[in-house]
Amino acid sequence: MSTAPAGAPSQGAPDRARAARIEAMAFVGFLVVLSIAVLIATTTIREPPGSTGTLGARVVPYVIGGLLLVSSLVVFIQQLRGHFGHAEEGEDVDLEHGTSWGVTGIVVLAFLSLIITIPSLGWPLAVVILFTGASLALGAKRWWVSALIGLALGIITQFLFGTLLGLSMPPTGTLTSWIGL
Amino acid sequence: METWSLLLDGFATALQPIYLLYALLGVLLGTAVGVLPGIGPAMTVALLLPITYALEPTAAFIVFAGIYYGGMYGGSTTSILLNTPGESASIVTALEGNKMARAGRGAAALATAAIGSFVAGTIATVLLTLLAPTVARLAVSLGPSDYFALMVIAFLTVGALLGDSAWRGMVSLAVGLFIGLIGVDTLTGQSRFTLGIPQLGDGIDVVLVAVGLFALGEALYVGSRLRHGELPIIPITRGWRTWMRRSDWARSWKPWLRGAAIGFPIGSIPAGGADVATFLSYASERSLAKPEYRKQFGKGAIEGVAGPEAANNAAAAGVLVPLLTLGIPTSATAAIILSAFQTYGIAPGPRLFETQSALVWALIASLFIGNALLLVLNLPLVGMWVKLLQIPRPYLYAGILVFAGLGAYAANFTTFDIGVLLVLGVLGFFMRRLGFPVAPLVVGAILGPMAEEQLRKAMQISQGDASYLVHSPFSWVAYGVMIVIIALSLWLKRRRARYEASLPAVDTVAIASLDEQIELHEPHPEVDRGRLSTTALPRVRPDDEGDDLDDSPPSR
Repeated sequence: MSTAPAGAPSQGAPDRARAARIEAMAFVGFLVVLSIAVLIATTTIREPPGSTGTLGARVVPYVIGGLLLVSSLVVFIQQLRGHFGHAEEGEDVDLEHGTSWGVTGIVVLAFLSLIITIPSLGWPLAVVILFTGASLALGAKRWWVSALIGLALGIITQFLFGTLLGLSMPPTGTLTSWIGL
Repeated sequence: METWSLLLDGFATALQPIYLLYALLGVLLGTAVGVLPGIGPAMTVALLLPITYALEPTAAFIVFAGIYYGGMYGGSTTSILLNTPGESASIVTALEGNKMARAGRGAAALATAAIGSFVAGTIATVLLTLLAPTVARLAVSLGPSDYFALMVIAFLTVGALLGDSAWRGMVSLAVGLFIGLIGVDTLTGQSRFTLGIPQLGDGIDVVLVAVGLFALGEALYVGSRLRHGELPIIPITRGWRTWMRRSDWARSWKPWLRGAAIGFPIGSIPAGGADVATFLSYASERSLAKPEYRKQFGKGAIEGVAGPEAANNAAAAGVLVPLLTLGIPTSATAAIILSAFQTYGIAPGPRLFETQSALVWALIASLFIGNALLLVLNLPLVGMWVKLLQIPRPYLYAGILVFAGLGAYAANFTTFDIGVLLVLGVLGFFMRRLGFPVAPLVVGAILGPMAEEQLRKAMQISQGDASYLVHSPFSWVAYGVMIVIIALSLWLKRRRARYEASLPAVDTVAIASLDEQIELHEPHPEVDRGRLSTTALPRVRPDDEGDDLDDSPPSR
């Protein structure tokens, strides 16, 4: 019993470190590509004629694209030499165990669902779906507690921001317009 | 004294019952989210930006002022009472405060942090009151090239100093500047980097940048590696009247004043913000402490909580000087507050004190009020705040997602923004994973367009002559000072990193016994010291209500 938990991290650790290095290289590589794309796209920005003597619309994008290219290349080289960044620490962050990608994926999907649910179901019900999905993925035990809290949160924010502060949050959507609020 | 009459007018506004309520709301919210792990002041202000769509400016800024100061108070509570590594800004407080708490002196650590924050916050707000109008008067004569110089300073210091490595900060800054470029160029009317998407024509709303990076990015990141199981909260004793012993007061008041003196100037020049201030204060307290107290550093010295906490709050007030007088944010929170000004169409800067005089002075007055409210609320209510630490994490982070969605949707009432927010959130998620600081990006995205505008104005004045940018003595001084600041701060950071790496782990019993050893040298009148200190001392005193002399250290 005692060897398994102790042995598991030490086997998983090199794999994880390797995965983290690949991820870091890929991210910085993406930034290098992005900066090149920025520089290329800048050449296509139209400069209205007759603006000589002043700074046109292209100069600053060139400078910023250049800054991005230089700095991401430096970080790329630093990483090739083994200087990687440290993941951010936090009170609720556990750096000793791996990343739960499944959880992250579900949370992203739950958030993305707002794009469909706000227009079709209205804000309060959209909150229920987002809150329930995200909290269950993050480890909440009982789905109906999550759903109830989500509903309360949805109605409270709808009342606070929509009714009280006058923001045009949709109380119902295309599918729920029969509710009649 | 014109300043005082204006300030009194500000108080007259801020003391109206409705604004007092807003101030109370602000400090309560600020403290609550400051206490909640994983939510800092930057995230709070970002999440609450939607209220700017509905409230009038004075009310909104009074709420933000409360959140801004409240977040600082709340953060220290977390780092003292939670037994986990916190964020780097409060690491010094955690260093000593957490060890004090583990030795049963948590109440004293909380009290010295709260009172110190109040003292330093009040001193710094007074300094802000005196200094800001003067700076604003001087700044009126600055031209576009001078502003550009100031913004370059802000960029480079924020990029180079916030985070582990200067180059990583520059990457983050450059990405932020790029995000600021997206949209239709105001001067020529050409669209840049919009990929033909009409919704991107107005640019990416700074609210989305702030909420995406600070709220969604953080929630995704924490969610991906959520700590399972209970977080150990260190218990504290009840009865706040007896929190501070007489010797605690004696050891605290000088660090409070020194912390204020260190924090305010560092906050008001863009030099890496509160991080540098807290460390400088910590280092100076350590070297100034009496020899018998110095050996307590690293094991729960009260000076090490009092000084840095005071410096932290004074720096927070100092940040407001360049923000209000020049319109230059030097921290992520300040950048988000600046974007709130922008949503109202108010441009912070030297003219702010003329054009929005009533608003500014009400804001400054509410800083004083907020500070006092915080002291009154926080000492007695700490038990309530500690309960917040026990909110189940799944609900906490799901709730953050809801407010992030609200903020994104309420910006323009299109679901397109939800998608933009998600892209930015995923960007923030990877930046946190891979060790890129997020704050420079936010500052770049908000300040970038303003810097470009100043640059192009300057070039229009000079007919395209680039040497105009360095023609004024002000800009020489500015660029010179920038080089000094960056060099000095990088050196300080290196020292801090080396110092933190050299800290040995100390166990609770050693801390407690050293504390008793020191306290035995001097009489302290509170007879119930034993009762105050026992709750978290399971091993030093086997009988948990015993009096405090039964197994004191051998040196007696």
